[in-house]
Amino acid sequence: MTATEFALSTDGVGKRYRKGWALRDCTLALPAGGVIALVGPNGAGKTTLLRLVVGLLAPSTGTVEVLGHDVTASTPQTLSRVGFLAQDHPLYKRFTVAEMLRFGRACNLRFDQGLAERRLAKLGIPLDRRAGTLSGGQQAQVALALALAKRPDLLVLDEPVASLDPLARHEFLQVLMGAVAEGGVTVVFSSHVVHELERVCDHLVVLNHGRVTLTGDIDTLLAEHRLLVGPRTATDLDRAGAVVEAVHSDRHTTLLVRDGAIPAAPGWQAQPVALEDLVLAYLRRPSEPSDAVTSGVAA
Amino acid sequence: MTWLIWRQHRTEVCVLGLLVGMFGIALLVLGTQAHDLFPGGPARCAGEAGINEACAASFRRLDEEYGYVENLLAGFYLVPVVIGAFLGAPLLARELEDGTWQLAWTQAVPRMRWLAAKLAALAGVTVTLTGMFTAVLTWFRQPFDAWEGRFQYDAFDLEGLVPVAYALFAFGVATAAGAILRRSLPAFGVAFGAFLAARMPVALLARPAYATPLTTMEPVPVGGSKDQAGHWPVPSFADWMIEHGYADATGRRLSWTEYYELEGAANRAGTNLNQFLHARGIQQFGVYHPADRFWTFQLIETALFVAVAAVLIGVVVWRVRRRMI
Repeated sequence: MTATEFALSTDGVGKRYRKGWALRDCTLALPAGGVIALVGPNGAGKTTLLRLVVGLLAPSTGTVEVLGHDVTASTPQTLSRVGFLAQDHPLYKRFTVAEMLRFGRACNLRFDQGLAERRLAKLGIPLDRRAGTLSGGQQAQVALALALAKRPDLLVLDEPVASLDPLARHEFLQVLMGAVAEGGVTVVFSSHVVHELERVCDHLVVLNHGRVTLTGDIDTLLAEHRLLVGPRTATDLDRAGAVVEAVHSDRHTTLLVRDGAIPAAPGWQAQPVALEDLVLAYLRRPSEPSDAVTSGVAA
Repeated sequence: MTWLIWRQHRTEVCVLGLLVGMFGIALLVLGTQAHDLFPGGPARCAGEAGINEACAASFRRLDEEYGYVENLLAGFYLVPVVIGAFLGAPLLARELEDGTWQLAWTQAVPRMRWLAAKLAALAGVTVTLTGMFTAVLTWFRQPFDAWEGRFQYDAFDLEGLVPVAYALFAFGVATAAGAILRRSLPAFGVAFGAFLAARMPVALLARPAYATPLTTMEPVPVGGSKDQAGHWPVPSFADWMIEHGYADATGRRLSWTEYYELEGAANRAGTNLNQFLHARGIQQFGVYHPADRFWTFQLIETALFVAVAAVLIGVVVWRVRRRMI
């Protein structure tokens, strides 16, 4: 498999700020096509990872390759293939929407102004308004239209809907998924909200305390994991390291296991696990004490 | 890029351009009137002021009618600093404040090209505006300079090349501070403070030492009144006197205490002070830089401030290249 078949691959990537490591030992290979969700609590290193992916930051260790190119090279060609929507969708607040589009045209190689104008017209966003006077949802839409008009092969979005109200969030995701459906673009977005991911995403990366704790195709992950419910037991349950999490109630013990589909032991009942429960179980796992990871620059 | 830079910085450029323009017109009007006092040119008149009564009268009128402008302008050495800091502070800081650096540097323009274009354009505006400001001011001060020389603080710091260097220095400090502090207003303040902190030691300590000063030493004239003894033995009024005093017959410089003792002794003896000093072989000395060193000193001070600016810009480039911001 050659590197170009991955939209994004990282090898042993770490990022250290003055306060400590925000990201360590991050090795990922994410396939082109589809939607990849990067999930983790606040301060897990999501923003750091995404900024490394788009070349805004340089890794302290390791390498990041996007679409088969080292991102730190930052040539106009590689930059033009990646779209980025930063957290809180920054725009030049004093620019009008039309000026934002002109900015996009001036700073890009293959900027599709007509596409952006059509998108904004469909959303009823006037071109002569200053970006700073638009609502948060409209600003997010303008930022998204700008990023999509680059016609990127990889679109990276940092918490794109975190600051939006439910309606704006819905509209935003609708536009985003519409663009994905039109084809050609791989989307990576981060979120600390887990529900609804299943509907939207194909691939999952769970990040916690600066480390990748789970990564894989969502369907595969759901097939590999299951819940085993049986009588309460305190004995060593670790079946060859397959137990992700054990929860004990008064009478029962519930195990989340990653064991393929070995038949359950007598007295145990196997159940499929919901994606949200799966993610939460991985996030609850304590990090090793040696992981002196501080919360990153996610602000 | 040109359009983007203009769109982002047009407010600052227009405000500063307007201020420099208004200031320039006011000075041109006042300056034309002041220059009209000297039909033969102020420089020629200054040479004849001792013998030509008309010239002496012209200089008196200049002082009476336009002296207040000259005094007012003494504070204007800060204008280039304002121009440089005002253009430099937001260059990176505003992008970092608003988060738009993430927008700017993920388009297809590589960040180093973006930075180079911005630095070149805004440093260019800084040089142009301060250059125009300084040109008008230098012209306005010609009659005053003819009379007072160009080495005083209200002349040297406002004329020639150094104001442009001050502006570039402020531009460099403001840009670097903006990159590190990530806020425009504190960056502006840092640039201002840094200039004031740098200017004091430079003007007081470094500038007199750009070259070895010359020394004159001559006996106290016997016939002069006490007033004339106050005229120190410097070849020309336009020279920059940095130290003066009395020395004994062997050339040893007297402290002012020793001088006052002599003065007291002369008073007690009831003799004319000059005759008293002359009789004892007391000499007057002056340590000075001749007027023709003006451009050498300007070049040295310009190089000093521009070098600091270049280092600071280098720090900014290094930080952006290393993706530390």
